[in-house]
Amino acid sequence: MPNFRVNELSDDELREHATRAGLALRVDELRRIAQTLGRDPSIVEVHAFDAQWSEHCSYKSSRHLLRRLPTEGPTVMQGPAEDAGILHLGQAHGANWGVVIAHESHNHPSQVVPFEGAATGVGGIVRDVLCMGAEVIAVADPLRFGRVEDAESHQRYVAQGVVDGIAAYGNAIGVPNIAGDAYFDERFDDNCLVNVVALGLLKEQDIIHSAAPAHSEGWDIVLVGKATDTSGFGGAAFSSVTLDEEDEDANKGAVQVPDPFLKNVIMRATYRVCEYLRERGVTAGFKDLGAGGIMGCSAEICSSGGFGAIIDLDDVNTAIQNMPPEVIAVGETQERLCWVLPGDVTPDVLRIYNEEFSLPQIARGACATVIGAVQGEKRYVLRHGGEIVMDVPIDFLTGSIRDELPVRPMSEGKVTDPARRYVVGEHDLRQLFPRVLAHRDVCSREPLYVRYDGAVRGTTVIPRGSACAGVIAPVFGAPLGVALAVAGNPRFSKVDPFLAAQYAVLEAVRKVVSVGARPLGLTDCLNFGNPRNIEHYSELVHAIEGIALAARQLGTPFVSGNVSLYNESKTGNAIPASPIIACVGGMDDVSTVVTAGLKRSGSALFLLGRPQNAAGGAVFAELLEQTGGPVPPIDYERAIDQIAFFRAAADAGFILSARSIGNGGVLAALAEMAFPTLQPGYTPIGVRLEPAHGWSNGAVGDFEAYFGECGGFVFEANAADAQALRAIAPEHLYLMQIGHTASEATFDVGSVQFDLNELYECWHAPLAQVYP
Amino acid sequence: MSAKVAVLVFPGTNSEVETWRICRDVGLDAEVVHWSRAACLPQYDAYVLPGGFAYEDRIRAGAIPAHDPMMDYVIEGSQRGKLVLGICNGAQIVLEAGLVPGTGPVRKPTAAFTRNGPVPHFVCKHVYVKLAIAPERCAITAALEPGALIPAWAAHGEGRLAATAEHLREITEGSHIAFVYAHADGTVDERAVPNASALGCAALTNREGNVLAIMPHPERDAWNYNHPDRRDGRDILAPSGGVALFEAFAEALRRA
Repeated sequence: MPNFRVNELSDDELREHATRAGLALRVDELRRIAQTLGRDPSIVEVHAFDAQWSEHCSYKSSRHLLRRLPTEGPTVMQGPAEDAGILHLGQAHGANWGVVIAHESHNHPSQVVPFEGAATGVGGIVRDVLCMGAEVIAVADPLRFGRVEDAESHQRYVAQGVVDGIAAYGNAIGVPNIAGDAYFDERFDDNCLVNVVALGLLKEQDIIHSAAPAHSEGWDIVLVGKATDTSGFGGAAFSSVTLDEEDEDANKGAVQVPDPFLKNVIMRATYRVCEYLRERGVTAGFKDLGAGGIMGCSAEICSSGGFGAIIDLDDVNTAIQNMPPEVIAVGETQERLCWVLPGDVTPDVLRIYNEEFSLPQIARGACATVIGAVQGEKRYVLRHGGEIVMDVPIDFLTGSIRDELPVRPMSEGKVTDPARRYVVGEHDLRQLFPRVLAHRDVCSREPLYVRYDGAVRGTTVIPRGSACAGVIAPVFGAPLGVALAVAGNPRFSKVDPFLAAQYAVLEAVRKVVSVGARPLGLTDCLNFGNPRNIEHYSELVHAIEGIALAARQLGTPFVSGNVSLYNESKTGNAIPASPIIACVGGMDDVSTVVTAGLKRSGSALFLLGRPQNAAGGAVFAELLEQTGGPVPPIDYERAIDQIAFFRAAADAGFILSARSIGNGGVLAALAEMAFPTLQPGYTPIGVRLEPAHGWSNGAVGDFEAYFGECGGFVFEANAADAQALRAIAPEHLYLMQIGHTASEATFDVGSVQFDLNELYECWHAPLAQVYP
Repeated sequence: MSAKVAVLVFPGTNSEVETWRICRDVGLDAEVVHWSRAACLPQYDAYVLPGGFAYEDRIRAGAIPAHDPMMDYVIEGSQRGKLVLGICNGAQIVLEAGLVPGTGPVRKPTAAFTRNGPVPHFVCKHVYVKLAIAPERCAITAALEPGALIPAWAAHGEGRLAATAEHLREITEGSHIAFVYAHADGTVDERAVPNASALGCAALTNREGNVLAIMPHPERDAWNYNHPDRRDGRDILAPSGGVALFEAFAEALRRA
C-alpha cells in the first residue's frame, strides 16, 4: 500500500506535505500516528485519522469540558453516549415510552451551498434518531443568518436557500417541523448557523444501541443506502477548519448531496426491519454514517462494543468504478446506515431493504449489502483490491485524541456602563412599539415556516409559531404529549456570553413550560469560533459553564449535544458565542395544553416575572441606539418558583392562554397572543394594559417594563379567578395583574391606543420580503 | 363484514400511517399496501391514496405514479364503480391518471393541481373546506350535511387547480368541484384560498361521483388533540372535525 511520508520529513516539510494533500491533521498529530504505528501511515490511514481526529468526530478540544454538564436525573432513559439521548415520556399501552433527541449543526456546508447543506443537515440528524430504533416524530431548526436586507446579497441567498433546503428534505420524508427560531446579525454574515433538532419515539425495551452487541464476534457488518460516491470527501475535516473564500469551489466538493426521496424509503424500510428484529428477539447494533463515512461509523460501532472490524472496500456498492480506497472509506455520501447483525438474520434484512422496499430500483446503486465482519482482535482493518490498505489499533483511531487549550478567566461582561432608566413619554411609545414588532428578531416567522410541513403524521397539537413551543401527541391512542422549544440569543451573547448561555437554557425551559409541559431534558449545540484563538475558546469554556450552571439550577439534564467550532472566516469575522439549546417537555395528558391565542374578552392579563432595570442586548435598546447596559442577572430561586407556580396554575386549569417573555418583552408577547384572533372567521380580542408605573411600582423605567427581555410569563386568566390567583402567589414571585382583554381590535397601553390590525401588519411584513 | 380498503404506498408517499389509522378508526378494514405488493390490489373494495411525494414529484406532482402498475388496478377498479379517495399527493395522482374530473381519456389529464400561486412555494396552513355540491352528487360525500365545513391542513407546493377555460367550464357545469376553501365561519372568499386555486377549488370529483380528489388533509385535523382551542368533546383522543369525511367514506362503503 502507498505510504504517506512522515518520518523522513522535517516539521516544515511535513506541514507543507499535509496541506498539499488537503489534510487538516497537524504535524504533532501526524508524528504521533507514525510513532504508534511504528511506520509511515498509508494514504488510506492518514485520511482515516484526518477524519476521525477532526474536532467534528473526536470533540478533541471540547469533550473534557462537556463532562461538566449535568446528565443524570429521573427523566433520563439514556444520557449522552451514543448518537442521540433518550428521555422518559411516560407509560401507555403497557410500555415505557421514550423520546429520543439529537441536535446537530450543518453550518459550514450551508454557508457554501445553502440548499444542499441545510437539507443534508436534516438528513443527518434524522439518521441519528432512526438508528436508536426510534420512529422519527418531529424536527426543529434554530437558524442564525447575516444581514438579509439587501436582496442581492449572499446573506439573502443563504437565508433563502437554507429554508428551502430544510423544507425540501423534511417535507419529503414526512416529519413535521414543530419548532425553531431565526436570528439575523451582521456577525453571521460570513458564517450562518444551521442547527437541526430531531425527536424520535420508542418503547424502552426496543432501544437499539450504536455498538456491536456482546458476543458479536464474526457478525456481519451491513451497509444500507445510497451508493458511495465522491461527494462529501473530507467533510469532517472541512467542518473543522476556518472557511476560506478562495477555496470555495474545493469546499463545495466536501458538501454531501441529499436524497430525501431515497431517505423516505430507507426510513420506512428500517421501521420494518426494526419490527422484524423485535419479532425475532434479535439484539443488533445500528449506527448512521456521518463524519468519517464507512470508516468512522464501522470503527466506532465496533470499538464501542469492545471489538475490532475488518471491512472489504471491494464489497461496497459504489456509484462509479475505480474509486480510490480512501474516498470509499471516508467519503461522506449521504443516506447510509450500518447494521451489525448475526449472520442468520442478514438474508431477511437484505430482503426487506432490497426486495420489499426495492432500494436498487429507488436510486441507482442503492442497496443493503454485507461489507465486513466484527472481529475479536481490537484492530481496524480495511482491504481493497485484495490488499490490506489500513491496519491500526481500533481504540487508537477512535478514542485517544484530546486537546487542552489555554483559557482566559471570565471578565464581568463586556459592557460596563451603568444601567440607565428609560422613562418616556407617550410619543416615544407610539413610535417604538411598532418598531419593536417589526424588528428582525421579533417579527413573524410565518413567511419562513409556512414552507415547512408542520402537520404531517397527524399528531400535531400546537403547530410551529402559534405558541412558544410546538406540541405533538405522538403515541397513537394515548394522551401523552411532547413539547419542543429552542433558544439562544446572540444579542445577549455579544454583551455577556456567560449570562447569555444561562438565559438560553432558562428560556428554552420556560418556553416548554409556557405550553403546560414539564421539562424533561435538554440538548445543546455549541457553535463557536476557532478554539485555537484564546478569545473564542474561552467563550466556549464559559458558555459550557453557563449552561451547566443553569441546567443544574433548574434540575434539567442534558442528554445529547454537538459542538461546532471554527465558525469564522479567514477575515477573522467570528460569530457571537452561540450556545443553542433545545428543551423537550412531556405531558401526561395533552388536554391540559396551554395555547397562546387570547380566548375571550374581559379576561385578566397577568405578568409572572419581575421587570429589571437593565436592558443589555434588548431589542428596544438597540432600536434606541443605546448599549442598554448589562444583561440582567438571573435570580434562580425566583425563576424556579415562577415556573412551579405557572405549572401548578396550568394543571389546575387557571391559565387560558400564555407565552413566555422573550424578544420584544411583555408587549410583544401580548401582541402575539392577540394576533391569532384577527384571523377571518374569528372574533378579534384586544388588550387593555395598565401603564407600566402601575405594575412596576416605578422601580424600573417604563421601557424596561414594556420591552425588557429578562423573561417570565404573561398569561390570560378568567377575571373571576384573578383574586384567587393573586392570593395564592407568594409575593416574591412578582405575579401582577397588568390589564385585561377587550372586544375591540385595539391594543391600549394606558391612554396610548394602537390598532391591532396595524400592529399585525408591522409584525408580519418584514420577513415576507425575504421569504415572499 | 366491513369493506376492505387499501391505503396505497408509492415510493415517496409519507402520510400512509395517519391515513390508515383514521380509516381503521371509522370502522374500515384498512391495510397499507406497498408498491411491491401491487398484485394483491384487486381484492380490495376501495382505494385511498395518501399524501407525500410519490416518485419525488418528478416532472409534475403525480405524473410518474399515475403510470405505476398500482394505478392499473385503481383505474380498473374505479371504472367498475369502486370508491377512490385521493388526498394531497394522492389527489394529484388521481388527476394525472385522468380519473377526475374524468372529462377526458384515462391518463390524459384535463386538469391539474399544479404550482401554487401567487408565489410558487410549499404552503402549510390550517384551512377549512366547504362542501360545494349536493352531498349525493358524490358517493363519498353523500352522508355529509349540505354545505358541510371540514377542517384540514393544506400542505402542498402544487395545489392550484389549473385547466383551460374550456375544461374549467366543463368542471363548473358538470358540478365537479366537490369542496372549496372557506373560513372558519363558513364564509368563502379569496383570502381563504391558500394557493390561488382556480374557482377556489379544494377537491374535485368525477362524473360518476365515485372518485374524490382533495388537496388539504382532513386526516391531520381528525382528533380533539389536533385543535385544543376548538375542543368538541372532553375526550382528547376522540375523533372530531376532519373525521367527518372519513365517516362519510365508510358510510358510502356500507351502503354500497
